Amino acid sequence: MQPATDELIRAEGLWKSYPMGTTIVDALRGVDLVIRRNEYVAIMGPSGSGKSTLMNLIGCLDSPSKGSYSLNGHQVAQLAEDELARIRNREIGFVFQTFNLLPRASALRNVELPLIYGGVPPAERRVRAAEALLQVDLADRVDHRPNELSGGQRQRVSIARALVTRPALLLADEPTGNLDSATSVEIMTLFDRLHQQGNTIVVVTHEREIAEHSQRIVTIRDGRVERDELRQPVGVP
Amino acid sequence: MNAVESTRLALESIWANRLRSFLTLLGVIIGIAAIIATAAVINGLNLYVSEKLSNLGKGVFVVQRIGLITNQKEFLEAIRRNKKLRPADARAIEERCPLAEVVAMEVHGQADLKRGDFEIRDTDIGGVTPQILAIEPYEVELGRTFTQDEEDRAAPVAFLGSDVQDNLFPGIDPVGKQLRIRGAMLEVVGTAVKKGAFLGMSQDNYVKIPFSLHRKLWGSSRSINISVKAADADHMEQTIDEVRAVLRARHHVRPGDDDDFAFMTAEGINDLWRSLTQTIFTVALFVVGISLVVGGIVIMNIMLVSVIERTREIGVRKAVGARQRDIVQQFLIEAVLLSCLGGAIGVAIAGAASALLAAYTPLPARFPAWAPFTAFVICTAIGIFFGIHPARRAARLDPIEALRAE
Repeated sequence: MQPATDELIRAEGLWKSYPMGTTIVDALRGVDLVIRRNEYVAIMGPSGSGKSTLMNLIGCLDSPSKGSYSLNGHQVAQLAEDELARIRNREIGFVFQTFNLLPRASALRNVELPLIYGGVPPAERRVRAAEALLQVDLADRVDHRPNELSGGQRQRVSIARALVTRPALLLADEPTGNLDSATSVEIMTLFDRLHQQGNTIVVVTHEREIAEHSQRIVTIRDGRVERDELRQPVGVP
Repeated sequence: MNAVESTRLALESIWANRLRSFLTLLGVIIGIAAIIATAAVINGLNLYVSEKLSNLGKGVFVVQRIGLITNQKEFLEAIRRNKKLRPADARAIEERCPLAEVVAMEVHGQADLKRGDFEIRDTDIGGVTPQILAIEPYEVELGRTFTQDEEDRAAPVAFLGSDVQDNLFPGIDPVGKQLRIRGAMLEVVGTAVKKGAFLGMSQDNYVKIPFSLHRKLWGSSRSINISVKAADADHMEQTIDEVRAVLRARHHVRPGDDDDFAFMTAEGINDLWRSLTQTIFTVALFVVGISLVVGGIVIMNIMLVSVIERTREIGVRKAVGARQRDIVQQFLIEAVLLSCLGGAIGVAIAGAASALLAAYTPLPARFPAWAPFTAFVICTAIGIFFGIHPARRAARLDPIEALRAE
């Protein structure tokens, strides 16, 4: 059931507090954010700004202390842990800075992982995982384990894993943080292509160069949205 | 996620840490191997005893001066109180107990056997009346057994167990040859089929001679055993009661006093034997139970280590949509598989051990058919019991924290 609107994400008054020792730290202090389908958004901010907390909430890894958050028509803010797991499985594809691949599993098995938890039958799983690897130009590496792949290839496996469930949102956390500059360009080019193919992408980064691939840069500071600028992305010819 | 997938993951993980998995399992392996090896030995003993007792035949019992006694106090009491059983007692049973169809007498003594330069010491010499053959037929290898005529004449004849034959007449046919017992020359009329050893004791080191001859050689002071075969095997209890009444009257036992003799039945011996082995098995079970608990704790410990080592993996799984029960299932199946693997190795070791015991020691070990199934049930239980805590701990990890773990 797709909502009629083209809004994918609507966050209103997101507030997140953590107990830290005897005091309570407010990591987010009322963030309002709307992201439409097929937008390409970069979230920037210095460390301690709350951008990681915001990413965890957008990624349904955590629930806000206050405020409302809807993702693709699901009211997420008050869901229990296992329901959040289901939303993550269906709606979100994560790309991590450190790739987070299972070291003993082949590329294909790594990409299959979300489908396993989605209850997709084995035969279909393999086909879809192979298709996802094809999409990131790794069709010839399906049987390789992470330690047999270069950093860029590992990140592409993890992007394939994020894509395989055809999620509503690709959520990347410092996706080039562990890569050299040439490989970073390669990965960001891939993101540009995925955006052109219709994916909605949110990239969390502190690097201006990476953020400039997006159409819109949201800057977070002290738990609030400091700036929200629409711009012409560099990657698009 | 389904169980097949969890099983596959668990096997991959166990295989990836082969040495650690094996060491983890030592407790379970040893526990299961020990309990099944013990069960195999006891099972073998029980089968052996049942088989031997079935030789005693249905409806057969033996009257003895002293019965099966398990402590010294009872033994001394019986020696003091119980009168010797005499041939007259057997004749009285024969005459006054219509339910007793066959009555045979047997008496034992030890003697050295000689033939020329060959000699065996302390062999069991049993004096038997020919009626014994109607109760407990001897398996004849060569020659024949005794006749009533030889009993009546106290004829100097002997029937040999196979050890006596092998040691005194190596490589020759003993039938018709002579041997010396207590100064008397006896002619060998036959030999028995080999029975083999039990618990390292030979069952073939004996000589049977006519009862009357035994009395001549040893005198008539020894208490005898009286074997009785009931006319109707289904009425053995009544037959025993009849014999009891006759013997109590002859021995002037007062009403209310205990019998001054004892009955041995196959059932009675079997019951005593089983209660004995049951006790041994219970003790063994307790000792082995401790090693299984230790084995389980080791599994729990290694699973907790595994959860910590794989915190990041758990975080990734949760991020891509694993629910708590998916994680619980994965780690629980791993614990159960680990434990069952230990059980399987234990069963294999016990199987090999019982085969080796049976082949190279006097213990008649026999691997019990129920062992693999029981081991599987026990190991599954251990895996679940000791695996649930680490599995829950893994499932409750916060995905954000877990993804951040080093």
